[in-house]
Amino acid sequence: MCRRILVLLSSLMILATQTSCWSSKEIEDLALYAGLALDTAELSPTEQKLEEQGSTYTKRNRITATVQVVPANSVGGIESTDGSVSPYMNVTGTGDSVLEIFRQYSILRERPIIGHHLKVIVVSSELLKQQSMNQLMDFVLRDNDIRPSTMVFISHGRAEETMISKQKGVIPAFHIRDMMRNQKRTSKVLAPVILSKLDSFMYSKRSYALQNLVTANGEVEFSGAGVIKGNTGHWVGALSQEDTECLSWLTNRGQSGVIKTYDWSNEPITYEVKSLKSKITAKVDGDHLSFDVKLTTEGRLSETWNEEEYPAATHLPQKAEKLFNKRLEQMMQSLFHKLQSDYKADAIGFSSMLKIQEPALWRKLEDHWDEVFSRTPIHLEVDLKITDFGSFTL
Amino acid sequence: MFIRTDDKITAAQTAVFLNNTLLGAGILTLPRSVSQTVKTPDAWISVLLGGVIVMLAVLVMVKISQQFPGQTVFQYAGRLTGRFIGGALSLLLILYFITIAGFEIRTLAEVTLFFLLEGTPIWAVILPFLWLSTYLVSGGINSIARVYTIVFPISIMILLISFLLSLRIFDIEHLRPVLGNGVAPVFAGLKSTVLIFTGCEVTMTLVAFMQDPKQAVKAILGGLAVLMGIYLLTVVIVIGGISIGSASTSTWPTIDLMRSFEVPGFFFERMEFPFMVIWLMQMFCNFSSFFFQASLGLSQIFKLKVHPIIYALVPLLFISAMVPKSLSDLFALGDAIGRMGVVLFLLVPVLLSIVWLIRAKGLKQHV
Repeated sequence: MCRRILVLLSSLMILATQTSCWSSKEIEDLALYAGLALDTAELSPTEQKLEEQGSTYTKRNRITATVQVVPANSVGGIESTDGSVSPYMNVTGTGDSVLEIFRQYSILRERPIIGHHLKVIVVSSELLKQQSMNQLMDFVLRDNDIRPSTMVFISHGRAEETMISKQKGVIPAFHIRDMMRNQKRTSKVLAPVILSKLDSFMYSKRSYALQNLVTANGEVEFSGAGVIKGNTGHWVGALSQEDTECLSWLTNRGQSGVIKTYDWSNEPITYEVKSLKSKITAKVDGDHLSFDVKLTTEGRLSETWNEEEYPAATHLPQKAEKLFNKRLEQMMQSLFHKLQSDYKADAIGFSSMLKIQEPALWRKLEDHWDEVFSRTPIHLEVDLKITDFGSFTL
Repeated sequence: MFIRTDDKITAAQTAVFLNNTLLGAGILTLPRSVSQTVKTPDAWISVLLGGVIVMLAVLVMVKISQQFPGQTVFQYAGRLTGRFIGGALSLLLILYFITIAGFEIRTLAEVTLFFLLEGTPIWAVILPFLWLSTYLVSGGINSIARVYTIVFPISIMILLISFLLSLRIFDIEHLRPVLGNGVAPVFAGLKSTVLIFTGCEVTMTLVAFMQDPKQAVKAILGGLAVLMGIYLLTVVIVIGGISIGSASTSTWPTIDLMRSFEVPGFFFERMEFPFMVIWLMQMFCNFSSFFFQASLGLSQIFKLKVHPIIYALVPLLFISAMVPKSLSDLFALGDAIGRMGVVLFLLVPVLLSIVWLIRAKGLKQHV
């Protein structure tokens, strides 16, 4: 009997130790951050005043990091409907180590910040002229809380401005993430570059393009892209919206978008892409390397302002096809010109085609690829077909 | 189901036992180690080739074990080479098993502390597993095999679901070109792909426990084939998902793959947590296997009862787990274990087979 009670008691005691978790932290006591913006160093007014009073530590002011802290209940998708209080809070710090700046927030706010729910990182192009991407991303890639699924963007102006929204009840970091869905409607939105992809770009030292964010009047717009040169990790230039669209098409990451041109009576005429395939082939002839790019697209003539000739009229499709063909070629050539002559950076990824198709040659050119790319001729062939005219045939 | 008490396991249980002994921490680090050595997307070919080589090696182990039905390597090594040499070889093997056991449980603790329980002291993670394992091992091979047959399907299912969901970031371009730099990188990769099969020495004791030792070749090679399939799938999915560059810079590439996507609206939005929790069970199984082997060996060499040895091994295993001071020490230990495995393969099964061939076929002795 005594033995049985002893067994019962000890098993109850063991049970009591099993139900808790040593490292548990209440989610309400944590400050989750959903967005991170990195800028060139610029002390915020609060920081300036604090520093005037001697509140500082050993650092060089090289970056300003802004984190967007959101309340715990908005992470699961239920956003705060109460419009009177802002649903997010931006905290800013300046220094020369991202982690140190983060830890510095702990002497400013009551809750520790935690990176499990970081969705968006925005880096200003100004900062990327001074620091390389590898330096800036080192901490976020090493950290155990921040997920490699975090998307990375570039901002035209100050990155911290993309973390501000005029609309009530909107959390800018989530807003930017959700705008990625529009990739289905327009190829001007590049396929998202997540941290693990960025890591592999940086590892292979290839150049790449990141979606650019432009802010005006408290609104954020996806506009064009920023090109980062592989061997330096610095920002070298911007791509326009049309260039970005072409980039999506060339890399087979976009199946949508419109091509607009002006017809024989100088009226706008618009083609809607239904499908688009690009095929890049490396051609080697002795020591001479060139690329053949073949674009095949089918689509719909969706809009014409020309009142005299109706789309289905006998010769119009052929005439229109020629116009669109020419326009698409122009757009592509403009992108090639920018990347080859202005930026000397292969952001399209011709290198990966060469790597796959001509591995032996690639090994020879690998070290100075961007240089070689800027001199390599690209032959473009466009095959555009109008398949229908929408529901308006006459 | 009736409960067996005769310390025998079926062919299917043998295959599962082998899988649960070998399939553990390797899956978390394999894509990195193989990417680092191969450096081209041909890593998966290395895994296939490594698997075939290990299969041949294991075949030798099965064949020699089949000559001594019902006896483990610790027993027949002595019969073949004499008590002194046989004992020394067995002790080496036991030392090796204790090292792997420590390595497995330390890896388990490191992963848990980094991703799941930041701030929990390491002993608090290791000790419960150690105690639980002691309980399991003291039940003998039948209890262990039964636990494994429960754990194995669950962990494989979670692994496959995670991989299936990760297909959203899979890009076949990451796996091309095939053999772009010739076959040299593939052979370079063998160094790391053979190592993930370390611990396959347990075959030499497993065969002794088989109800029908004639089926040993089928069961063991079948088990290894499943294992190789899982490793192959892992390397293809991880490299296809996050590319060779990212895989070779990441400490835990398989977990980083799971962290690279989110599945909104699915039961779990993030697959790394269910995956890791399930995988802890798998690593626990690994650990228990080597714990069992070590205790079995010691009891058979010194002809002692097995239970006191199991309890005596607990502190030893804890020390073995705590020896590496840092994560890089741990990975260095992993490599050292792999090299030890190769040396032991040459010392134990190959040497024993040669001695057996000379004595049984050459000198016509009855051994």
